[in-house]
Amino acid sequence: MDAFLDGFSVVTQPGNLLYCLIGVLIGMLIGVLPGLGPAATMAILLPIVVTVDPVAAVIMLAGIYYGAQYGGTITSVLLRLPGEASSVVTVFDGFALAKQGKAGTALGIAAVGSFVGATVSIVALSLTAPIVAGWALDFGPAEYAALALLGVLLIATIGSGHPVKALIAASIGLLLATVGRDSFNNSQRFTFDSLQLADGLDFVVVAMGLFGVGEILYNLEERHGKVHVPAAVANIWPSRKELKQATPAIGRGSLIGFFLGVLPGGGAVMASLAAYATEKRVSKTPERFGRGAIEGVAAPETANNAAATSSFIPLLTLGIPANASMGMLFAALLVLGITPGPQLLEERPDLFWGVVNSMYIGNLLLLVLSLPLVGIFVRILRVRPAILAPITALITILGVYTINNSVFDIFVMIAFGILGYLMKKVGFEPGPMVLAFVLGALLENNVRRALLIFEGDPTGFVTRPISGTILALFLVAAVFPVVQAVRRRRAATTVPDETTQREDVLR
Amino acid sequence: MRKQTLSLAAVASTAALALSACGGVSTTTGGDDGGEYPSRSVEMYVGADPGGSSDLISRQIATGLTEELGETFSVLNRSGSNGALAAAEVQQAEPDGNVISVQNASLFAITPLAVAEDEVTNIDDFDVVGGVSRDDYVLVTNAENPWKSIDDLKGAGKKITYGTTGVGTGAQLACALTYESGAIDSEAVPFDGGAPALTALLGNQVDTACLQTGEAIENIENGKLTALSVFAPERIEFLPDVPTATEQGLDVEVYQYRFMTTPKGTPQDVKDTIWEAMQATFETEDYQAFNEQNSLTPMEIPGDEVVDALESDKQRYADLVEEYDIDLGDAS
Repeated sequence: MDAFLDGFSVVTQPGNLLYCLIGVLIGMLIGVLPGLGPAATMAILLPIVVTVDPVAAVIMLAGIYYGAQYGGTITSVLLRLPGEASSVVTVFDGFALAKQGKAGTALGIAAVGSFVGATVSIVALSLTAPIVAGWALDFGPAEYAALALLGVLLIATIGSGHPVKALIAASIGLLLATVGRDSFNNSQRFTFDSLQLADGLDFVVVAMGLFGVGEILYNLEERHGKVHVPAAVANIWPSRKELKQATPAIGRGSLIGFFLGVLPGGGAVMASLAAYATEKRVSKTPERFGRGAIEGVAAPETANNAAATSSFIPLLTLGIPANASMGMLFAALLVLGITPGPQLLEERPDLFWGVVNSMYIGNLLLLVLSLPLVGIFVRILRVRPAILAPITALITILGVYTINNSVFDIFVMIAFGILGYLMKKVGFEPGPMVLAFVLGALLENNVRRALLIFEGDPTGFVTRPISGTILALFLVAAVFPVVQAVRRRRAATTVPDETTQREDVLR
Repeated sequence: MRKQTLSLAAVASTAALALSACGGVSTTTGGDDGGEYPSRSVEMYVGADPGGSSDLISRQIATGLTEELGETFSVLNRSGSNGALAAAEVQQAEPDGNVISVQNASLFAITPLAVAEDEVTNIDDFDVVGGVSRDDYVLVTNAENPWKSIDDLKGAGKKITYGTTGVGTGAQLACALTYESGAIDSEAVPFDGGAPALTALLGNQVDTACLQTGEAIENIENGKLTALSVFAPERIEFLPDVPTATEQGLDVEVYQYRFMTTPKGTPQDVKDTIWEAMQATFETEDYQAFNEQNSLTPMEIPGDEVVDALESDKQRYADLVEEYDIDLGDAS
């Protein structure tokens, strides 16, 4: 407990506070610009930060990471550009709200949700890190496979489109995930003998194409139609009613995010997806989702920030980096002469608690910073489409190039942009496709890995307690809506025509 | 306090600078007319994502070269195909030393065993300036398992699963050779890199794994993992108590090493300048501490010796793979 309090005295030293501020500011900035991610930014800054005090350096790098999570929301809501897989879900309701002139509300609730989610996660981290870390180790390939399967099912329930169309889009997403060299026997799949495709498609490239470029093309067509600019964007503060609406979503999102975020690889995506699906399921009015439901923004944004925080747990307690950004933090710690792992807490309590507690302060800084900034950001929407579209196009092209310094990726993005435009024209949501694409590799590789470990015996999936439980959940989730539909059909003979209603709101 | 404020200002301003320059977009004006090298910022491609050991080593060298030569050496990540895409960038560049790369031995010595012939990157297409360091593999198991040596695995009485850092990597080759030449019943389980393989091993999801020393050493030292073998020619400095595979009666020597390359036909004086600056970097305390922290063994040998090592390793691996009938992938 003393060490915990000492941690606060470490953070509140003026120098460390300033580094924390610089970190979250840089993080927010790169989060807003698609492409350059937190890992690359940390890599660029690494040689500079190692010259300063170790604790300050790590505080700053951590700030970049969770600051970027905040920033990413802004482009998702305003420009339909999800910077990473975990904010894809935010796009559905966030962008819908923005179109209704409620961008400020969406961003405001996202900021509040992010803050709460991160804070809950930090508290949980402080109290239970070692226990939860052990739990993450119980997740083997079989468990990941079951979780990814559940995720694919959840995708179908997401967004506003028809579930069958969502499933079709998801299937194409799964197919896209197979592009690249097979990671078990190295054979080429859909690479057309191109080395550029040998490692598969990059998520950010696909997402920015389908969402960003697709949206730009779609808007160009609509240019002569009604005015795109929403009337009022002034209300930054969510109303009391909206806050009340979002509160349970934020609570559930925090918990889901914390637990799933501990899982390395795919944890944050699953968290945002599961949080959204949960809200839609428990909601009394699920039809609002995808058309500007405030919970649809609050839940995934809370969850992905909670997940970002809990992804520190494997690094700090086991010495395992859960993602590329954690990998850079691992490297930074090594450079500073500190090896992350189980003994970090004993050997360097000042650093451990200093960093953990800096996240309380950092998130508070982000909340204070982002709320006033929301007012400035939403003004982007007032820019005429004729000016905004080329600027957005430029940002996406530049952003995609900086990920991998690859011109090829720019063309891939444009191709997916055209696909995204066509999908939108015929009423398909790109969201399920992108999410299935992310989960596809996770699903396939882990099923194959598990089968190798089980020596080809598939009963292993069911007999292992955790994967068995997840699969049971999967069955319930798959069967429940069917049963419900049958019941409803029996109860009422006339079903209101929902599709026409949907078209109205989409316009 | 004064020092802290100063360095703070430095961080802030350099951060802004670095971020604005990070796109790495620069005008390639082609060869410079014989002036002093380097006359402008140099691009250093690395065939891996930020955060891995390849990336960190490149960045460490880039920092040293920037200090020694006064121009910025900026690292550009161009990951994919185990470094083949970054290699292609260097291969296609003007041979003036403005595009260079620290490359991995595995791309030239091991990847050819795992990919189709037309995808093979050939060392003859590059000039090799000099060696950097060696990165050793270690065979580890969860400490809960009773095994302490390779011999113990032979008597395990079950099929041993082994996690690898991916198909066609040195980690896979080291493990596969060990199990095949030791006649141990085994199954390879490829993961996407070292961290997921380590996670699976710590959770005892796989029986053993071959990892890079730097990835595993922390958990070996704290007793969560048992190191069964290293694959270096002799015991390595960082794990002095762990016997080599050769000591345990198996002819398995597999290791990763890295070296500086330039496009074929780069003028000798340019290469000399780079090599001298690299050697000066090797001498710095910072660099030596970096090697120590990442469990890297210096391999600072001249370029022609690197080429010899690559040629002989490539042949040796090919012979072993054939002898034990190991399938690293779709090599045909």
